[in-house]
This record gives sequence, C-alpha cells and structure tokens, in this order.
Amino acid sequence: MAEVHVIGQIMGATGFSESSLFCKWGIHTGVAWKLLSGVREGQTQVDTPQVGDMAYWSHPIDLHFATKGLQGWPRLHLQVWSQDSFGRCQLAGYGFCHVPSSPGTHQLDCPTWRPLGSWREQLARAFVGGGPQLLHGDTIYSGADRYRLHTAAGGTVHLELGLLLRHFDRYGVEC
Amino acid sequence: MAAANPSVFLLMVNGQVESAQFPEYDDLYCKYCFVYGQDWAPTAGLEEGISQITSKSQDVRQLLVWNFPIDVTFKSTNPYGWPQIVLSVYGLDMFGNDVVRGYGAVHVPFSPGRHKRTIPMFVPESTSKLQKFTSWFMGRRPEYTDPKVVAQGEGREVTRVRSQGFVTLLFNVVTKDMRKLGYDTGPADTQGILGPSLPQGIPR
Repeated sequence: MAEVHVIGQIMGATGFSESSLFCKWGIHTGVAWKLLSGVREGQTQVDTPQVGDMAYWSHPIDLHFATKGLQGWPRLHLQVWSQDSFGRCQLAGYGFCHVPSSPGTHQLDCPTWRPLGSWREQLARAFVGGGPQLLHGDTIYSGADRYRLHTAAGGTVHLELGLLLRHFDRYGVEC
Repeated sequence: MAAANPSVFLLMVNGQVESAQFPEYDDLYCKYCFVYGQDWAPTAGLEEGISQITSKSQDVRQLLVWNFPIDVTFKSTNPYGWPQIVLSVYGLDMFGNDVVRGYGAVHVPFSPGRHKRTIPMFVPESTSKLQKFTSWFMGRRPEYTDPKVVAQGEGREVTRVRSQGFVTLLFNVVTKDMRKLGYDTGPADTQGILGPSLPQGIPR
C-alpha cells in the first residue's frame, strides 16, 4: 500500500471584513484511503491581529494516510467564522482545496465564499449578524448541488502543506 | 543498523533563530524547544535553549537580532509526528516583570536544503477587560502552562489570541535513508531562501 503524509499548517487568513477569525477544518477522502494517524478535523484558535490585517492561526496538520488507489485524493475543507466580543459566531466563508499531489512543500491560497440570502436576510446580516449557512457540510467540497446557491466572495485562507509520499514509484505512479 | 535495509531514518537540522520584529515591544529573549511524535527520538544536539536579551536596532528596520544557534539530530521510524520547533518570546514590562510576548511554532522543513521561515507570534488574550487590567497591573499576563500546547491542534478551539510579531528562522536540513525506506520528499530546495512567496501581512 502506498502512504501519504500531509504535514503542514493552516497559517491564517486575509481579506475578510471581520477581524476575530477562526477556522473549522476537515479532510475528506475517497473509500480507497485510510487514515492511519492524525486527527481528521479540528478547529483553530480565534486570532485578533495587532499588526496588519492577516489573522494568524499557525494550526498544525499532521496526517498519515494509506491508500490503495488514486481516486478520492484528500480534500481539505474549511469554514471560516468570526467571533465578536460577546462570543457570538458568524459565518465568514466556506472553502476547500485539494491536498497537493506532488511531494515537497507548497503554499496554498484557498478562496472562500459565503451564501447570500434574500435581500431581507442580507440587510439583517448587516445589522444584527447571522445569515444563511449550509445545512450539509459536504456541499463545500462537492459540486453536486451547487447550482442552487447564490454566493458572495469571502477572503482567502493561506496554508503551507508539505507532502511526503512513500512507495508511489513501486506502483508506477508518477507525481 | 544494516545499511542495505535500514529501518530508521535520520533528520539533521541546524540553523538559527535569526531575528524578530515586534513593533510594540523591546528587550526580548526567546526560548525554543522541539515537539515531536512518539516514533521520534533526539540522538544528538540540544533540544531546547534560551537566547540572550536583545534590544531593537536604532535604524528604520527596528530589528531584534538573536542569531541563536539550533543544532539537533533526530531518528525515527515514521514521519508522523514530524518535529516542530516551538518558540516563546519573553520581555520585561514597565514594572520590571517577565511577561510573555509571543508563542509560535513551525514544522522543521523536510526537503533537504536551506529554508527560511518567518512565523507569526501570538499571545493568549484575557477574557474580560477587568482581567486585562489586573493582569497588566500585577504583571501576570495570560500564558500557557506548557508552551508545547502551541504545537498541537487539539484543545485550541476555545482559546482567543492576539498576534503581535514575527520571528525569522533559518534551517539547513539533511536527511539520511529516507529514500531507501521509500519516502519521496520532493525536490531538494536549493533556492529555499528566495523560496515561496509569503502571504501579505508578513514583512520581508
């Protein structure tokens, strides 16, 4: 069986209008993949930046997968939320990106989007907060039901992921 | 350890904690330590250290330079738990107490070569304004009981932090027997210094 190590960090986010941000992340893989060590999902700390406008999380990711096939290459999905001084959380964006497929260290910039509601909901979000959220988290990384959505852009999440592959050349896989 | 069929690979890291940028603070020192998984063990070198106290340069760069050496070798059977270096920066507040100015962590790069990393430093924040005032007054700021928690992902969901500075590190990485064990670490990064572009907000 070939093995893949994903070792890196969710560094932070830029471009969001809110400032105290945190990120819930998860990894989704196909059926041929098995997670041997590491946690598949998590949530970062809430950061309020003092210098510049990038919120820094430096959240470590260390995953060890074993795989029998190339289908279902791991996808990292993210939800960025903002937290205000009262402790209320509001969605700032959803995003996903595939884990890189070539070995080495990669800098990734993952764009995010958030669902827009009707004009009433948008007005309410501007004054009171809240706003529509996805019912099923898998819409973030699958294209199946996307045509129903109307969304607006959020900021960008920056990741640095390193990939270590093992025994891929035994199976003739070039990456 | 048979050279033909090794079961263990080695990771040698040397380098330095080069400098820091903290716009609001001066007279700082840093401590570093390594956090690694259960399959890893250090075989040579120092796992932790404390640097000198440094003051900001008087010129426009406002740089705090430590130039503090790092030299350690690890052996392991499994890349899971790849070592991370955890940095804690401390300084004196206006009452003369030793307070924490930032924590940060980064994985040691795994492709052989020279790498420069600039990492953000953050401090835990007090939950209420009253606590913020009393901690400023008493000189006992919120800090982590064990800095190694910064290298873990679990248990950080409820922490609120403030990022307020950057530290630049330089690494030279050499590995032994990773290729023999079947691992592909990607291209050796000969231009690690000029390396990947940093996201905005990190000063060059």
